[in-house]
Amino acid sequence: MGAEHTSVPRWGSEWPAPDPSARTVLLVGFGARGCAITAAWAADVPAGRPVEVLAADDADESVLAVLTARIAGARVGWRLMLAGPEDDVLAARAVALRAGVLDAEIRCAVTSTDRKRVYCPHCRATTTTTAPVAGETPCEGCARRLHVYAHVSRRAGAYLGFMADAEEVA
Amino acid sequence: MTATLTAPGALRADDGRLVLEVAGVVDEVPGTRTLVLRRPGGGLLPAHPPGSHVVLDCGDRRNAYSLTGDGSPCEEYRVSVLLCPDGEGGSAFVHRLAVGDIVSASRPRSAFAPVSTARHHLLVAGGIGITPMLSHARAAVRWRRSFELLYRHRPGAGAHLDELRGLCGDRLTAYTSTPEMLAAVRAALADRPLGTHVYVCGPTPLIGFVEETAAELGWPGERVHAERFSADLDAGEPFTAVLARSGSRVPVPSGTSLLTALEQAGVAVPNLCRQGVCGECRVPVRSGRPLHRDLYLSETERAAGDAVMCCVSRSVDDELELDL
Repeated sequence: MGAEHTSVPRWGSEWPAPDPSARTVLLVGFGARGCAITAAWAADVPAGRPVEVLAADDADESVLAVLTARIAGARVGWRLMLAGPEDDVLAARAVALRAGVLDAEIRCAVTSTDRKRVYCPHCRATTTTTAPVAGETPCEGCARRLHVYAHVSRRAGAYLGFMADAEEVA
Repeated sequence: MTATLTAPGALRADDGRLVLEVAGVVDEVPGTRTLVLRRPGGGLLPAHPPGSHVVLDCGDRRNAYSLTGDGSPCEEYRVSVLLCPDGEGGSAFVHRLAVGDIVSASRPRSAFAPVSTARHHLLVAGGIGITPMLSHARAAVRWRRSFELLYRHRPGAGAHLDELRGLCGDRLTAYTSTPEMLAAVRAALADRPLGTHVYVCGPTPLIGFVEETAAELGWPGERVHAERFSADLDAGEPFTAVLARSGSRVPVPSGTSLLTALEQAGVAVPNLCRQGVCGECRVPVRSGRPLHRDLYLSETERAAGDAVMCCVSRSVDDELELDL
Protein backbone atom coordinates (compact mmCIF):
# COMPACT_ATOMS: atom_id res chain seq x y z
CA MET A 1 0.00 0.00 0.00
CA GLY A 2 1.52 3.31 -1.06
CA ALA A 3 2.19 6.02 1.50
CA GLU A 4 -0.35 8.32 -0.14
CA HIS A 5 -3.12 5.85 0.68
CA THR A 6 -2.21 5.03 4.25
CA SER A 7 -4.64 5.62 7.11
CA VAL A 8 -1.74 6.63 9.38
CA PRO A 9 -2.66 10.17 10.48
CA ARG A 10 -0.59 13.08 9.27
CA TRP A 11 -0.89 15.57 12.09
CA GLY A 12 0.70 18.59 10.48
CA SER A 13 3.55 20.62 11.87
CA GLU A 14 1.43 23.32 13.53
CA TRP A 15 -0.99 22.95 16.41
CA PRO A 16 -4.60 23.71 15.50
CA ALA A 17 -6.33 26.68 17.18
CA PRO A 18 -9.62 26.49 19.10
CA ASP A 19 -12.68 26.47 16.83
CA PRO A 20 -14.16 29.99 17.00
CA SER A 21 -17.67 28.53 16.58
CA ALA A 22 -17.35 26.39 19.74
CA ARG A 23 -19.81 27.14 22.55
CA THR A 24 -18.14 24.96 25.18
CA VAL A 25 -14.75 23.28 25.03
CA LEU A 26 -13.10 20.34 26.76
CA LEU A 27 -9.30 20.34 26.61
CA VAL A 28 -7.40 17.17 27.49
CA GLY A 29 -3.62 17.27 27.83
CA PHE A 30 -1.41 14.18 28.15
CA GLY A 31 2.03 14.61 29.73
CA ALA A 32 3.86 17.87 30.35
CA ARG A 33 4.07 18.90 26.70
CA GLY A 34 0.41 18.13 26.08
CA CYS A 35 -0.63 20.10 29.16
CA ALA A 36 1.44 23.09 28.01
CA ILE A 37 -0.54 23.07 24.77
CA THR A 38 -3.92 22.84 26.51
CA ALA A 39 -2.91 25.78 28.72
CA ALA A 40 -2.20 27.84 25.58
CA TRP A 41 -5.50 26.72 24.04
CA ALA A 42 -7.41 27.69 27.19
CA ALA A 43 -6.11 31.24 26.80
CA ASP A 44 -7.16 31.30 23.12
CA VAL A 45 -10.78 30.20 23.58
CA PRO A 46 -12.99 33.27 23.04
CA ALA A 47 -14.22 34.88 26.25
CA GLY A 48 -17.54 33.73 27.61
CA ARG A 49 -17.22 30.14 26.35
CA PRO A 50 -16.98 27.62 29.18
CA VAL A 51 -13.72 25.68 29.09
CA GLU A 52 -12.76 22.61 31.09
CA VAL A 53 -9.15 21.46 31.17
CA LEU A 54 -8.18 17.90 32.07
CA ALA A 55 -4.55 17.00 32.69
CA ALA A 56 -3.36 13.40 32.66
CA ASP A 57 -0.15 11.39 32.45
CA ASP A 58 -1.61 9.16 29.77
CA ALA A 59 -4.93 7.99 28.35
CA ASP A 60 -5.69 5.46 31.06
CA GLU A 61 -9.10 4.07 31.86
CA SER A 62 -9.94 6.71 34.45
CA VAL A 63 -9.31 9.59 32.03
CA LEU A 64 -11.25 7.85 29.28
CA ALA A 65 -14.13 7.27 31.72
CA VAL A 66 -14.23 11.00 32.52
CA LEU A 67 -14.16 11.78 28.80
CA THR A 68 -17.04 9.36 28.18
CA ALA A 69 -19.07 11.00 30.95
CA ARG A 70 -18.42 14.51 29.58
CA ILE A 71 -19.51 13.42 26.08
CA ALA A 72 -22.70 11.89 27.50
CA GLY A 73 -23.59 15.21 29.12
CA ALA A 74 -22.49 17.47 26.26
CA ARG A 75 -24.82 19.54 24.06
CA VAL A 76 -24.32 20.34 20.37
CA GLY A 77 -21.76 23.15 20.12
CA TRP A 78 -19.31 21.29 22.36
CA ARG A 79 -15.77 20.76 21.07
CA LEU A 80 -12.97 18.43 22.14
CA MET A 81 -9.27 19.30 21.87
CA LEU A 82 -6.60 16.69 22.58
CA ALA A 83 -2.86 17.29 23.03
CA GLY A 84 -0.07 14.84 23.77
CA PRO A 85 1.68 11.75 22.39
CA GLU A 86 -0.05 10.07 19.44
CA ASP A 87 -1.00 6.89 21.29
CA ASP A 88 -2.86 8.83 23.99
CA VAL A 89 -4.50 11.18 21.50
CA LEU A 90 -5.64 8.28 19.30
CA ALA A 91 -7.04 6.38 22.28
CA ALA A 92 -9.02 9.40 23.46
CA ARG A 93 -10.16 10.27 19.94
CA ALA A 94 -11.39 6.69 19.46
CA VAL A 95 -13.55 6.98 22.59
CA ALA A 96 -15.02 10.23 21.27
CA LEU A 97 -15.65 8.93 17.75
CA ARG A 98 -17.32 5.80 19.10
CA ALA A 99 -19.60 8.02 21.18
CA GLY A 100 -20.76 9.88 18.05
CA VAL A 101 -18.50 12.94 18.20
CA LEU A 102 -17.68 14.09 14.66
CA ASP A 103 -14.22 14.77 13.23
CA ALA A 104 -15.37 18.37 12.82
CA GLU A 105 -15.76 18.56 16.61
CA ILE A 106 -12.30 17.23 17.50
CA ARG A 107 -8.93 18.95 17.11
CA CYS A 108 -5.65 17.24 17.98
CA ALA A 109 -2.07 18.32 18.64
CA VAL A 110 0.37 15.41 18.62
CA THR A 111 3.67 16.01 20.40
CA SER A 112 5.34 12.70 19.53
CA THR A 113 4.68 9.63 17.39
CA ASP A 114 7.34 7.41 18.98
CA ARG A 115 4.96 5.28 20.98
CA LYS A 116 2.30 3.22 19.21
CA ARG A 117 -0.59 1.05 20.27
CA VAL A 118 -0.71 -2.04 18.06
CA TYR A 119 -3.84 -4.17 17.85
CA CYS A 120 -3.35 -7.92 17.43
CA PRO A 121 -6.20 -9.46 15.39
CA HIS A 122 -5.05 -12.96 16.42
CA CYS A 123 -5.69 -12.54 20.15
CA ARG A 124 -7.31 -9.05 20.19
CA ALA A 125 -4.85 -7.65 22.70
CA THR A 126 -3.38 -4.18 22.24
CA THR A 127 0.37 -3.75 22.76
CA THR A 128 2.23 -0.50 23.35
CA THR A 129 5.53 -0.36 21.47
CA THR A 130 8.13 2.04 20.12
CA ALA A 131 8.62 -0.01 16.95
CA PRO A 132 8.25 2.00 13.71
CA VAL A 133 5.66 1.35 11.01
CA ALA A 134 6.78 -1.77 9.07
CA GLY A 135 8.81 -2.80 12.15
CA GLU A 136 8.03 -5.67 14.50
CA THR A 137 6.92 -6.02 18.09
CA PRO A 138 6.04 -9.03 20.25
CA CYS A 139 2.33 -9.17 21.15
CA GLU A 140 1.73 -8.78 24.88
CA GLY A 141 -1.32 -11.02 24.57
CA CYS A 142 -0.13 -14.03 22.58
CA ALA A 143 3.63 -13.43 22.12
CA ARG A 144 3.36 -13.67 18.33
CA ARG A 145 5.81 -11.47 16.43
CA LEU A 146 3.61 -8.70 15.03
CA HIS A 147 4.37 -6.72 11.89
CA VAL A 148 3.28 -3.09 12.55
CA TYR A 149 1.19 -2.31 9.49
CA ALA A 150 0.63 1.18 8.03
CA HIS A 151 -3.02 1.20 9.03
CA VAL A 152 -4.60 3.03 11.96
CA SER A 153 -8.11 2.17 13.06
CA ARG A 154 -10.07 5.28 13.96
CA ARG A 155 -12.48 3.18 15.99
CA ALA A 156 -9.81 1.35 17.97
CA GLY A 157 -7.29 4.19 17.98
CA ALA A 158 -4.52 1.70 17.26
CA TYR A 159 -2.23 0.47 14.50
CA LEU A 160 -3.03 -2.90 12.97
CA GLY A 161 -0.51 -5.65 13.62
CA PHE A 162 -0.38 -9.09 12.11
CA MET A 163 1.74 -12.20 12.52
CA ALA A 164 5.05 -11.36 10.89
CA ASP A 165 5.95 -14.85 9.67
CA ALA A 166 2.44 -16.11 8.94
CA GLU A 167 3.33 -17.30 5.44
CA GLU A 168 6.62 -19.00 6.30
CA VAL A 169 6.78 -22.76 6.55
CA ALA A 170 7.21 -23.70 10.17
CA MET B 1 -39.42 17.88 -1.81
CA THR B 2 -40.65 19.11 -5.18
CA ALA B 3 -37.91 19.79 -7.67
CA THR B 4 -39.00 20.98 -11.08
CA LEU B 5 -37.14 19.88 -14.17
CA THR B 6 -36.90 21.66 -17.45
CA ALA B 7 -35.83 19.68 -20.50
CA PRO B 8 -37.08 16.11 -20.65
CA GLY B 9 -35.95 15.69 -24.26
CA ALA B 10 -32.41 14.48 -23.69
CA LEU B 11 -32.76 11.79 -21.07
CA ARG B 12 -30.71 8.66 -20.90
CA ALA B 13 -32.10 5.21 -21.50
CA ASP B 14 -34.84 4.57 -18.99
CA ASP B 15 -33.71 1.18 -17.78
CA GLY B 16 -35.32 0.18 -14.57
CA ARG B 17 -37.98 2.86 -14.46
CA LEU B 18 -41.08 1.85 -12.62
CA VAL B 19 -44.46 1.65 -14.28
CA LEU B 20 -47.03 2.49 -11.64
CA GLU B 21 -50.79 2.67 -11.49
CA VAL B 22 -52.62 5.35 -9.55
CA ALA B 23 -54.43 3.20 -7.00
CA GLY B 24 -55.80 6.01 -4.90
CA VAL B 25 -56.15 9.77 -4.80
CA VAL B 26 -56.57 11.50 -1.45
CA ASP B 27 -57.04 15.22 -1.04
CA GLU B 28 -55.24 15.79 2.26
CA VAL B 29 -56.06 19.46 2.63
CA PRO B 30 -57.10 22.02 0.01
CA GLY B 31 -54.36 22.19 -2.61
CA THR B 32 -52.43 19.11 -1.52
CA ARG B 33 -53.16 15.79 -3.18
CA THR B 34 -51.74 12.42 -2.21
CA LEU B 35 -51.25 9.74 -4.85
CA VAL B 36 -51.17 6.07 -3.91
CA LEU B 37 -49.04 4.28 -6.52
CA ARG B 38 -48.82 0.51 -7.03
CA ARG B 39 -47.52 -1.89 -9.65
CA PRO B 40 -50.40 -2.55 -12.08
CA GLY B 41 -50.36 -6.27 -11.21
CA GLY B 42 -49.50 -5.70 -7.56
CA GLY B 43 -46.27 -6.87 -5.93
CA LEU B 44 -43.50 -5.38 -3.86
CA LEU B 45 -41.84 -2.12 -4.80
CA PRO B 46 -38.15 -1.39 -4.06
CA ALA B 47 -37.36 -0.48 -0.46
CA HIS B 48 -35.57 2.81 0.14
CA PRO B 49 -33.91 4.86 2.88
CA PRO B 50 -36.23 7.34 4.63
CA GLY B 51 -36.26 10.75 2.92
CA SER B 52 -35.96 9.29 -0.60
CA HIS B 53 -37.78 10.62 -3.66
CA VAL B 54 -38.90 9.35 -7.04
CA VAL B 55 -38.69 11.34 -10.25
CA LEU B 56 -42.16 11.20 -11.78
CA ASP B 57 -42.97 11.78 -15.45
CA CYS B 58 -45.45 14.66 -15.42
CA GLY B 59 -46.46 15.11 -19.04
CA ASP B 60 -43.67 17.04 -20.73
CA ARG B 61 -41.53 17.38 -17.60
CA ARG B 62 -40.18 15.38 -14.71
CA ASN B 63 -40.61 16.29 -11.06
CA ALA B 64 -39.05 14.80 -7.94
CA TYR B 65 -41.47 13.95 -5.15
CA SER B 66 -40.61 12.61 -1.71
CA LEU B 67 -41.93 9.19 -0.74
CA THR B 68 -43.76 9.48 2.55
CA GLY B 69 -43.50 5.84 3.65
CA ASP B 70 -40.86 4.56 6.08
CA GLY B 71 -38.99 2.86 3.25
CA SER B 72 -39.38 -0.79 4.19
CA PRO B 73 -40.54 -3.06 1.35
CA CYS B 74 -44.22 -2.56 0.60
CA GLU B 75 -46.68 -2.68 -2.27
CA GLU B 76 -47.42 1.01 -2.51
CA TYR B 77 -45.68 4.34 -2.63
CA ARG B 78 -47.32 7.58 -1.56
CA VAL B 79 -46.40 11.07 -2.66
CA SER B 80 -48.11 14.29 -1.62
CA VAL B 81 -48.10 17.11 -4.14
CA LEU B 82 -48.93 20.76 -3.50
CA LEU B 83 -50.68 22.37 -6.47
CA CYS B 84 -48.61 25.33 -7.67
CA PRO B 85 -50.90 27.29 -10.01
CA ASP B 86 -47.99 29.49 -11.10
CA GLY B 87 -45.57 26.59 -11.51
CA GLU B 88 -44.33 24.88 -14.65
CA GLY B 89 -47.25 22.47 -14.86
CA GLY B 90 -45.89 19.39 -13.12
CA SER B 91 -48.06 19.69 -10.02
CA ALA B 92 -51.11 20.49 -12.18
CA PHE B 93 -50.45 17.27 -14.11
CA VAL B 94 -50.37 15.31 -10.87
CA HIS B 95 -53.60 16.95 -9.71
CA ARG B 96 -55.32 15.84 -12.95
CA LEU B 97 -54.43 12.17 -12.42
CA ALA B 98 -57.27 9.77 -11.57
CA VAL B 99 -57.45 6.26 -10.19
CA GLY B 100 -56.41 3.79 -12.88
CA ASP B 101 -54.01 6.15 -14.69
CA ILE B 102 -50.54 4.77 -15.43
CA VAL B 103 -47.43 6.83 -14.66
CA SER B 104 -43.70 6.28 -15.06
CA ALA B 105 -41.31 6.95 -12.20
CA SER B 106 -37.65 6.46 -11.40
CA ARG B 107 -36.63 4.00 -8.76
CA PRO B 108 -36.34 5.66 -5.33
CA ARG B 109 -33.34 7.96 -5.02
CA SER B 110 -31.83 8.75 -1.63
CA ALA B 111 -30.37 12.20 -1.01
CA PHE B 112 -31.77 13.01 2.44
CA ALA B 113 -31.35 9.93 4.60
CA PRO B 114 -31.19 9.96 8.41
CA VAL B 115 -27.70 9.55 9.88
CA SER B 116 -27.62 6.10 11.42
CA THR B 117 -25.23 7.08 14.21
CA ALA B 118 -27.27 10.09 15.37
CA ARG B 119 -28.25 10.11 19.05
CA HIS B 120 -31.30 12.28 18.36
CA HIS B 121 -33.03 13.53 15.20
CA LEU B 122 -34.41 17.09 15.10
CA LEU B 123 -36.83 17.34 12.16
CA VAL B 124 -37.90 20.79 10.91
CA ALA B 125 -40.58 21.10 8.21
CA GLY B 126 -42.25 24.06 6.54
CA GLY B 127 -45.40 23.56 4.44
CA ILE B 128 -45.19 20.75 1.86
CA GLY B 129 -41.64 20.20 3.11
CA ILE B 130 -43.36 17.89 5.57
CA THR B 131 -43.27 15.03 3.03
CA PRO B 132 -39.71 13.73 3.56
CA MET B 133 -40.13 14.39 7.31
CA LEU B 134 -43.18 12.13 7.39
CA SER B 135 -40.93 9.40 5.99
CA HIS B 136 -38.24 10.17 8.58
CA ALA B 137 -40.78 10.21 11.42
CA ARG B 138 -42.32 6.89 10.38
CA ALA B 139 -38.88 5.25 10.20
CA ALA B 140 -37.87 6.78 13.54
CA VAL B 141 -40.99 5.37 15.19
CA ARG B 142 -40.49 1.99 13.56
CA TRP B 143 -36.85 1.76 14.64
CA ARG B 144 -37.39 3.50 17.99
CA ARG B 145 -35.03 6.33 17.20
CA SER B 146 -35.13 9.44 19.36
CA PHE B 147 -36.67 12.30 17.37
CA GLU B 148 -38.84 15.39 17.47
CA LEU B 149 -40.65 17.23 14.68
CA LEU B 150 -41.31 20.96 14.40
CA TYR B 151 -43.87 21.67 11.68
CA ARG B 152 -45.01 25.06 10.39
CA HIS B 153 -48.19 24.95 8.29
CA ARG B 154 -50.88 27.34 7.17
CA PRO B 155 -53.97 27.49 9.42
CA GLY B 156 -56.32 24.71 8.42
CA ALA B 157 -53.94 23.42 5.73
CA GLY B 158 -51.54 21.18 7.60
CA ALA B 159 -50.91 18.26 5.26
CA HIS B 160 -50.74 14.95 7.14
CA LEU B 161 -51.30 16.75 10.44
CA ASP B 162 -53.73 14.24 11.99
CA GLU B 163 -51.61 11.35 10.82
CA LEU B 164 -48.50 12.97 12.33
CA ARG B 165 -50.25 13.61 15.65
CA GLY B 166 -51.12 9.92 15.89
CA LEU B 167 -47.64 8.87 14.82
CA CYS B 168 -45.54 11.28 16.85
CA GLY B 169 -47.65 12.15 19.88
CA ASP B 170 -45.93 14.81 21.93
CA ARG B 171 -42.83 14.60 19.75
CA LEU B 172 -44.71 16.76 17.22
CA THR B 173 -45.11 20.50 17.74
CA ALA B 174 -47.12 22.25 15.03
CA TYR B 175 -47.13 26.00 14.42
CA THR B 176 -49.26 28.28 12.29
CA SER B 177 -47.19 31.34 13.21
CA THR B 178 -43.80 31.78 11.59
CA PRO B 179 -42.24 33.80 14.47
CA GLU B 180 -43.31 31.13 16.97
CA MET B 181 -41.92 28.40 14.73
CA LEU B 182 -38.58 30.17 14.31
CA ALA B 183 -38.34 30.81 18.06
CA ALA B 184 -38.95 27.11 18.70
CA VAL B 185 -36.34 26.12 16.12
CA ARG B 186 -33.81 28.46 17.72
CA ALA B 187 -34.57 27.11 21.20
CA ALA B 188 -34.12 23.55 19.97
CA LEU B 189 -30.84 24.33 18.22
CA ALA B 190 -29.59 26.06 21.37
CA ASP B 191 -29.88 22.99 23.58
CA ARG B 192 -29.79 19.48 22.17
CA PRO B 193 -27.58 16.53 23.13
CA LEU B 194 -24.26 16.17 21.34
CA GLY B 195 -24.92 13.59 18.66
CA THR B 196 -28.12 15.27 17.45
CA HIS B 197 -28.56 15.83 13.72
CA VAL B 198 -31.00 18.42 12.36
CA TYR B 199 -32.94 17.94 9.11
CA VAL B 200 -34.88 20.71 7.40
CA CYS B 201 -37.16 20.76 4.38
CA GLY B 202 -39.33 23.69 3.36
CA PRO B 203 -39.20 27.15 1.86
CA THR B 204 -35.76 28.65 1.21
CA PRO B 205 -36.00 31.21 4.07
CA LEU B 206 -36.72 28.45 6.61
CA ILE B 207 -33.74 26.42 5.40
CA GLY B 208 -31.57 29.54 5.54
CA PHE B 209 -32.73 30.28 9.09
CA VAL B 210 -31.92 26.76 10.27
CA GLU B 211 -28.49 26.75 8.61
CA GLU B 212 -27.52 30.19 9.89
CA THR B 213 -28.84 29.66 13.41
CA ALA B 214 -27.20 26.25 13.67
CA ALA B 215 -23.85 27.67 12.58
CA GLU B 216 -24.19 30.55 15.05
CA LEU B 217 -24.89 28.09 17.85
CA GLY B 218 -21.84 25.97 17.10
CA TRP B 219 -23.37 23.17 15.00
CA PRO B 220 -20.81 21.76 12.55
CA GLY B 221 -22.19 21.60 8.99
CA GLU B 222 -22.01 17.80 9.18
CA ARG B 223 -24.90 17.82 11.68
CA VAL B 224 -27.16 19.97 9.48
CA HIS B 225 -29.06 18.42 6.57
CA ALA B 226 -31.30 20.34 4.17
CA GLU B 227 -33.59 19.20 1.38
CA ARG B 228 -34.29 22.04 -1.02
CA PHE B 229 -37.12 22.25 -3.52
CA SER B 230 -34.66 23.42 -6.15
CA ALA B 231 -31.59 25.56 -6.68
CA ASP B 232 -32.24 29.24 -7.31
CA LEU B 233 -29.74 30.45 -9.85
CA ASP B 234 -28.73 33.39 -12.00
CA ALA B 235 -27.65 33.13 -15.64
CA GLY B 236 -23.93 33.07 -14.80
CA GLU B 237 -20.83 34.31 -16.63
CA PRO B 238 -19.84 32.82 -20.00
CA PHE B 239 -16.90 30.40 -20.12
CA THR B 240 -15.43 27.71 -22.35
CA ALA B 241 -15.50 24.00 -21.64
CA VAL B 242 -12.41 22.23 -22.96
CA LEU B 243 -12.99 18.54 -23.61
CA ALA B 244 -9.68 16.88 -22.83
CA ARG B 245 -10.27 13.63 -24.70
CA SER B 246 -11.60 15.03 -27.96
CA GLY B 247 -9.69 18.29 -27.74
CA SER B 248 -12.81 20.23 -28.69
CA ARG B 249 -13.86 23.51 -27.15
CA VAL B 250 -17.47 24.17 -26.21
CA PRO B 251 -18.49 27.77 -25.49
CA VAL B 252 -21.00 28.10 -22.64
CA PRO B 253 -22.81 31.44 -22.94
CA SER B 254 -24.48 33.22 -20.06
CA GLY B 255 -27.95 31.79 -19.56
CA THR B 256 -27.03 28.38 -21.02
CA SER B 257 -26.09 25.54 -18.71
CA LEU B 258 -22.89 23.55 -19.21
CA LEU B 259 -25.08 20.47 -19.64
CA THR B 260 -27.14 22.09 -22.40
CA ALA B 261 -24.00 23.35 -24.14
CA LEU B 262 -22.48 19.87 -24.04
CA GLU B 263 -25.64 18.33 -25.41
CA GLN B 264 -25.80 20.87 -28.23
CA ALA B 265 -22.19 19.97 -29.04
CA GLY B 266 -23.23 16.32 -29.36
CA VAL B 267 -21.79 15.13 -26.03
CA ALA B 268 -24.20 12.86 -24.20
CA VAL B 269 -24.08 13.27 -20.42
CA PRO B 270 -26.34 11.15 -18.20
CA ASN B 271 -28.72 13.45 -16.38
CA LEU B 272 -32.02 13.42 -14.62
CA CYS B 273 -33.17 16.40 -12.60
CA ARG B 274 -31.25 19.20 -14.36
CA GLN B 275 -31.67 21.17 -11.14
CA GLY B 276 -28.47 20.35 -9.24
CA VAL B 277 -30.29 17.97 -6.94
CA CYS B 278 -29.96 14.40 -8.14
CA GLY B 279 -26.23 13.90 -8.74
CA GLU B 280 -26.67 12.14 -12.08
CA CYS B 281 -24.77 14.58 -14.34
CA ARG B 282 -21.46 14.60 -12.45
CA VAL B 283 -18.56 15.26 -14.84
CA PRO B 284 -14.85 14.89 -13.93
CA VAL B 285 -12.79 18.09 -14.03
CA ARG B 286 -9.10 18.06 -15.03
CA SER B 287 -8.24 21.71 -14.58
CA GLY B 288 -9.88 25.05 -13.94
CA ARG B 289 -11.91 25.95 -10.87
CA PRO B 290 -15.56 24.86 -10.91
CA LEU B 291 -18.18 27.33 -9.69
CA HIS B 292 -20.31 24.91 -7.71
CA ARG B 293 -23.99 25.82 -7.63
CA ASP B 294 -25.51 22.39 -7.06
CA LEU B 295 -27.07 21.01 -3.92
CA TYR B 296 -25.52 17.58 -4.30
CA LEU B 297 -21.75 17.64 -3.73
CA SER B 298 -20.46 17.73 -0.15
CA GLU B 299 -18.18 20.51 1.06
CA THR B 300 -15.21 18.14 0.77
CA GLU B 301 -16.12 17.18 -2.78
CA ARG B 302 -16.55 20.84 -3.71
CA ALA B 303 -13.18 21.72 -2.25
CA ALA B 304 -11.50 18.89 -4.18
CA GLY B 305 -12.61 20.63 -7.37
CA ASP B 306 -12.27 17.45 -9.45
CA ALA B 307 -15.92 17.08 -10.41
CA VAL B 308 -18.77 19.35 -11.40
CA MET B 309 -22.54 18.89 -11.63
CA CYS B 310 -22.85 20.25 -15.13
CA CYS B 311 -26.60 20.97 -15.07
CA VAL B 312 -26.24 24.03 -12.84
CA SER B 313 -22.57 24.59 -12.01
CA ARG B 314 -20.25 26.73 -14.07
CA SER B 315 -16.61 27.86 -14.04
CA VAL B 316 -14.73 30.44 -12.00
CA ASP B 317 -11.99 30.52 -14.62
CA ASP B 318 -12.47 31.36 -18.30
CA GLU B 319 -11.81 27.73 -19.16
CA LEU B 320 -12.86 24.52 -17.47
CA GLU B 321 -11.13 21.37 -18.71
CA LEU B 322 -13.36 18.30 -18.46
CA ASP B 323 -12.34 14.65 -18.68
CA LEU B 324 -14.72 14.02 -21.59
